Amino acid sequence: MSIPKEAYKALENIVGPEWISDDPAARIADHKGGYATGVVDDRTIPPGICIQPGSGEEVQQITKVANRYKLPFIPTSTFFTSMCAPTVQDVIMMDLKRMDKLEINERDQYVIVEPGVSYSMLQSELLKRGLLTFVPTCGAQASVLANHVHCGDAPFGWRMGLGYRRVLATEWVLPNGEMLKLGSRSYLKEYFWGEGPGPDLKALLRGNEGHEGGLGTITKMAVKIFSFVPGKFTPKGIQPKTTLLLPEERLKWFNCSLPSREKAVDFMYELGRCEIGLMVSTIPPLFRYVARCRGLGPGEFWKRWKEYGENPDREAIDVRVMIIGWTSEKQLEYEEKVLKAVVEEYGGKMSAAPARDESNFLSADAVCSWFIGGRFLSEVYFESLDCGLHTEKDIRRISKLRTPPLADTWDTPMLWAAYEFGHNAKQEYLNYVDDSEVEALRAHEQACRENDIKIGASAIMESTKMFGPYWHNYDKRMEELKAIFDPNNLSNPPKPIERPLFDEQGRTL
Amino acid sequence: MALQLENLRHDANSCIRCSMCKFVDMVWTQSARFARQCPINVRYKFNLYSAPGLMACARAIMDGHLEFTPKLLDALYKCTLCGACDVRCKRNLDPEILSVIEALKARAVESGKGPLPEHTKIAENIAKNNNRYGLPHESRLKWITNDIKPSKKADILFFVGCAASYAHHEIARSTAKILMHSKTDFMVSREESCCGYLLYATGQVDAFKKQAERNIDMVSKSGATTILLSCAEGYKTWKVDYPKVLGKETANMPYKVIHIVEHMDQEVKKGSLKFNKSIPLKITYHDPCNLGRLSEPWLVWEGTHERYGVTNPPKTFRRDGHAGVYEQPRDILKSIPGIELLEMPRARDNAWCCGAGAGVDAAFPEFASWTASERLEEVISIGAEAIVTSCPACKDMFQKAVQSCGIKLKVYDITEIINEVLS
Repeated sequence: MSIPKEAYKALENIVGPEWISDDPAARIADHKGGYATGVVDDRTIPPGICIQPGSGEEVQQITKVANRYKLPFIPTSTFFTSMCAPTVQDVIMMDLKRMDKLEINERDQYVIVEPGVSYSMLQSELLKRGLLTFVPTCGAQASVLANHVHCGDAPFGWRMGLGYRRVLATEWVLPNGEMLKLGSRSYLKEYFWGEGPGPDLKALLRGNEGHEGGLGTITKMAVKIFSFVPGKFTPKGIQPKTTLLLPEERLKWFNCSLPSREKAVDFMYELGRCEIGLMVSTIPPLFRYVARCRGLGPGEFWKRWKEYGENPDREAIDVRVMIIGWTSEKQLEYEEKVLKAVVEEYGGKMSAAPARDESNFLSADAVCSWFIGGRFLSEVYFESLDCGLHTEKDIRRISKLRTPPLADTWDTPMLWAAYEFGHNAKQEYLNYVDDSEVEALRAHEQACRENDIKIGASAIMESTKMFGPYWHNYDKRMEELKAIFDPNNLSNPPKPIERPLFDEQGRTL
Repeated sequence: MALQLENLRHDANSCIRCSMCKFVDMVWTQSARFARQCPINVRYKFNLYSAPGLMACARAIMDGHLEFTPKLLDALYKCTLCGACDVRCKRNLDPEILSVIEALKARAVESGKGPLPEHTKIAENIAKNNNRYGLPHESRLKWITNDIKPSKKADILFFVGCAASYAHHEIARSTAKILMHSKTDFMVSREESCCGYLLYATGQVDAFKKQAERNIDMVSKSGATTILLSCAEGYKTWKVDYPKVLGKETANMPYKVIHIVEHMDQEVKKGSLKFNKSIPLKITYHDPCNLGRLSEPWLVWEGTHERYGVTNPPKTFRRDGHAGVYEQPRDILKSIPGIELLEMPRARDNAWCCGAGAGVDAAFPEFASWTASERLEEVISIGAEAIVTSCPACKDMFQKAVQSCGIKLKVYDITEIINEVLS
């Protein structure tokens, strides 16, 4: 099957010849990719057409043409996740980067963004105005809009909450091409409010993974921003050694070393009760070693990581805390005093770290997680901190079973990025498998599946993802919604829920 | 070896499509308007027009899944090889993505699909007349006026390059006068031939290698030990590309390479160059890609990638950018009375390309002009009255863009400003 010429012509009439292509090179450039390159994108295929709409109206028209010719379509922007790689024939790849309008409302503290606006674009403008948004750890190259309708998590979520809670008025092209306006946009020209009137469909944009383009295309969105501290943020250095110097009179970093995982969790809860800090997160040794070896190559990392693993004296767990004088320098002094008291109460030690940042205000370095080679494995959970203790035990048990082929993480703690003053948290387990051992990992995956071992939203072990009762039947509700909103199954099929497929031998396809 | 696509398979495979390469280093991002850095991606938007797109195509070409299509050739030859993607990628990762793009161009030539007709014409001009313009070789030293007296024999050979020899005499003359003012003994050569930068940058590797051998032989016969250039393209060609195609390291070449800004900086700091004349002007400095992020010395590495991509033997990673010539021109300009140096949002290793690189101005003048005018918008945004650079190709692009945009902005090569305050 191929895309009919009339369909191509109809699409070309919408965007003009410059912004559409079915050249094989353009299509190949738009298929595989993303953080799980080579693992979950094994079965991706090039799209049939690459197209770049310039407005919400053009997105509507493209969507209607797709419906007329029953052609699947995928909305995408930076494409860092593999979720937007086509897995079915004749996909219209709708790259939304041309849509990059950005409008800041300083008085009411919200910003209107189109999908092509990155966090670096937004944050650089906000910092100049004494305002702030957060930046996800995947990097400030991510689309603000796409991130807010995906997990929407970022380190400053400790103070600022998860991204999807900050979604305001939204313009959403449904899978049939109709424009749905949510919040204040449904009855006003304003973007200041996210809810109602009537049934509030904004909830469909929220969640751990969002709908990943499976329920149409969000073309414009207003998101909440915050006032921020005065002071100068000074960039310094030449790549790869660049950093952002922070205003020390308003922001301070501390590394707090706690004697155990349990103490660390209690410590984070207590900080939440005290309502201090801008960011609170454990720093797994694996992350620390990755950061330290950036620029030195994978050989140096693996050498040092082995030395670390062979060192028996590694019991403590580090929690990194950024405190903030949001309203005044006095507040910073207060937060430091409270932090000291809480650290002492939980038997920890604290030390000040340099007032600089590479990961949170204008994120730059999380991508270094990939330099150490092999295939990248990330498992992410959102739950409470103390539930995380149990999850971590399970993950450690399962990962031990999988080592090798997985790299040895030496039983070290996972990342716990605590959000909303400790009311919830992201836990992330990182690991790696060498290219030559992907098959061995698949065999292990098969064994996990046969033994009904469920491990959550794995980016590599697809068939062990949780579905049905394991996942509160969330998947069933999403499938019902998909049938209502997208009866032709054209919007990034089969998203938003992708059940693993198996061949006759029971292997994951 | 360094330009064999198959030798770079690991690098092409290592792209995770994070898209960092399309953006200025995040901590240096100053505004939404100037947050991006890849000219082809900003202009054409398709992922094909970016390093990740070209990495995907390189993989597909190697695997036999793709031929050189018109669109791929368009993207490939519109890439100015400015190296912003490479520097940005190596902020976090290790792949030699610029080498992959260069090797893809070389593969296009091997396959008979490249270079473009405009580039073939340049190669013919070089083969016939030793310069890219096809002008008589005998005119190469016509820039020398009566007041310029190069030595017959000296340690320093001023390699003038095609642009300053034929199109921008003012740069060649200013350079020579600065050398004379600082009492630096230098010679020029009648045997000088095009450095071959455009051959290299368009994938014409065999022809480039011949130019490299010919010019190195010329230097050897001259007895010079140092090559001094006022052209950033030539500087990078002598310092990085000659050793690269000859399988050597920069440190092992039989000559030392120095740009006039490095020389001037030394002389200013020694006190041999003093600026007493005042120029009341708000200026900004444009970092030429080939003098800044692309001028890091070449290191040879041949080996294999083993478990987890660990290199055997261990590889010293070139981090394009950190060894670039950034501070010297700024220090020189700041020492001139009256001058106020303003920085553009995209500076040093984050600089936006002028659009001239890799023969783009010859094959795609409209796109090259758009690229230059983007830079001029940045200049205007900071209120500068003049843009100063240190490469004839950049100056040429900006001059043309100033004329076509009809804006009031002065364009200088740094040697012209210095010569002005010395005279």
